[in-house]
Amino acid sequence: MEKRQQEKIQKFEEFVDSRLKPDLVRAIGERDKVFEQQKIFVDLRRNIENLEKNSVTSLRTLVNLGSEVYVQADVPDTQRIFVDVGLGFHVEFTWSEALNFISLREEKIARQIEEYTLQIASIKTQIKLVYEGIRELMELPAEKPPPQRIF
Amino acid sequence: MVSPRGEVTPFASLFPVDEAHKAVKRVEEKIAEKQKEMDHLKEFIADNNSIINLVSKLPEELHHDIMVPFGKAAFFPGRLIHTNEFVVLLGEGYYAERTSKQTADILKRRGKALDSQVESLKANIKDLKAEASFFDTTASEAAEGLVEIREDYVDEDLGEEHFESAFQGKGESPGLNEKKHMVEEDDEYTRLMARLDELEREELAAENDDESIEDDPVANGALEDGNEQKEQSNTIESDTVNSEHFQNAISGDLLLYQTHSMQRKPQEQEKIEDVTAEALCNKYQSDLSLKDEQNRTGSTIQPLPKAENLSSKSSTHETKRHLHNEKASVLPEGKIEAMSSATQPVHMQSARPPSNSSKTEASQSGFDSSKAFTGSIVERSTDVLTAKSATLPPSDSQSKPSRPVSRFKMQRR
Repeated sequence: MEKRQQEKIQKFEEFVDSRLKPDLVRAIGERDKVFEQQKIFVDLRRNIENLEKNSVTSLRTLVNLGSEVYVQADVPDTQRIFVDVGLGFHVEFTWSEALNFISLREEKIARQIEEYTLQIASIKTQIKLVYEGIRELMELPAEKPPPQRIF
Repeated sequence: MVSPRGEVTPFASLFPVDEAHKAVKRVEEKIAEKQKEMDHLKEFIADNNSIINLVSKLPEELHHDIMVPFGKAAFFPGRLIHTNEFVVLLGEGYYAERTSKQTADILKRRGKALDSQVESLKANIKDLKAEASFFDTTASEAAEGLVEIREDYVDEDLGEEHFESAFQGKGESPGLNEKKHMVEEDDEYTRLMARLDELEREELAAENDDESIEDDPVANGALEDGNEQKEQSNTIESDTVNSEHFQNAISGDLLLYQTHSMQRKPQEQEKIEDVTAEALCNKYQSDLSLKDEQNRTGSTIQPLPKAENLSSKSSTHETKRHLHNEKASVLPEGKIEAMSSATQPVHMQSARPPSNSSKTEASQSGFDSSKAFTGSIVERSTDVLTAKSATLPPSDSQSKPSRPVSRFKMQRR
């Protein structure tokens, strides 16, 4: 009896350690990636709004070549902007089109974040549940024979 | 004659096979880790090179049409202008405006730093690989059921009874110590030394010496290439010369003891000799041997006959060390290395090449200076090896005093 319970407890713990916890870590990692995307698009939207507000038509900026080496670059026309729409495709937008796209994109990203948050919560619940089960398994037999409480 | 005191230890009891395998696995993991680091660095270097290339090519045109990144997800069509002006990060948030050439120089310097990192990493990996192969061979040898045979060398034709009694008295403690040392044994070194012994045995077959093939306590983990090479060179040396060197070194050592004691009153001399022997037997009395060394340096070399007298005077209760002295002085052809096997494990290593006819110091005095030096080098190879293993400090301290003495002594003549 005791032995079977021990085995069960061990099984549960193994499940938590080898399945649930890695899952949790992975889900959190995925969510962080989506958060990053969200930040990129929020920045882009703010930048475009800035350009609009200041009615900038030409732009001079520094381009990073890598290894922190910068070169000046000139943008003669800022009206047309190429935005990454995913899978390596870039679409040429005007500012208003771009803002439209960005808001759609942000919505989708928000949904994704929601999804991942739910997933993470459910994994956490499962972990809690299994732990609770383990506790019950350990405590109940311990209470039945009070004089034998040696461990 | 082979003494009955030899002991046989199965290799597997010293190095359990699975333990060795575990060690191999661990080291291999480390290697993989380093390899990853190395790949990372290599990537950096490739990036750096391509940027150098780019920077030096940009000024060839007045402007380049590019897509100018605007944030991470957007671009503007645009062009690079002022293609000979670069802003380079110097570090800590400081930037400098440089020309293309100056920028390329900066990048090249960075590349050099990366190269040196790669070099050190390579050396690191090489070390680890050597370690892994060492563990591997150890494991396979243990699995094959290799045994270690250990017996003390006894010289039969000189004062055998004396010797044996002294031997039995003294033989115990070194044996114990060695057992401790064996744990860190290096089998490769052992093989080398075994080969050495073999060669010498062939040569000395006529003399009918018996030999002690001792496995030496050696550096534990990393077997340094340098050591290996040194040892190999030793083996390459002709055996006779080699053993002669050993003898030179050792007999010089002995003579020093004698001459040193000669200058003192008999009782004092006895005492000192006891002390030295103790110091050499006892691994922990390095300070004593230091004292001896000081004495020795002060002593002058005496002609041989006197030494004989002295040694004959010495009472039988004196340590084996003394007996050796006696031997060395009384019988020019005596084999000196016998002493080393009994008293001190470390000496054993150096002196192990069993002697053919050992010339006395007196007869050698003409030619030894260079050879003496070689002898000391031979000693040092073991010395270095023992020093390598951090776990063998006692033997280290013991062997140290003996080395300088012999060298000093020989150079002096």
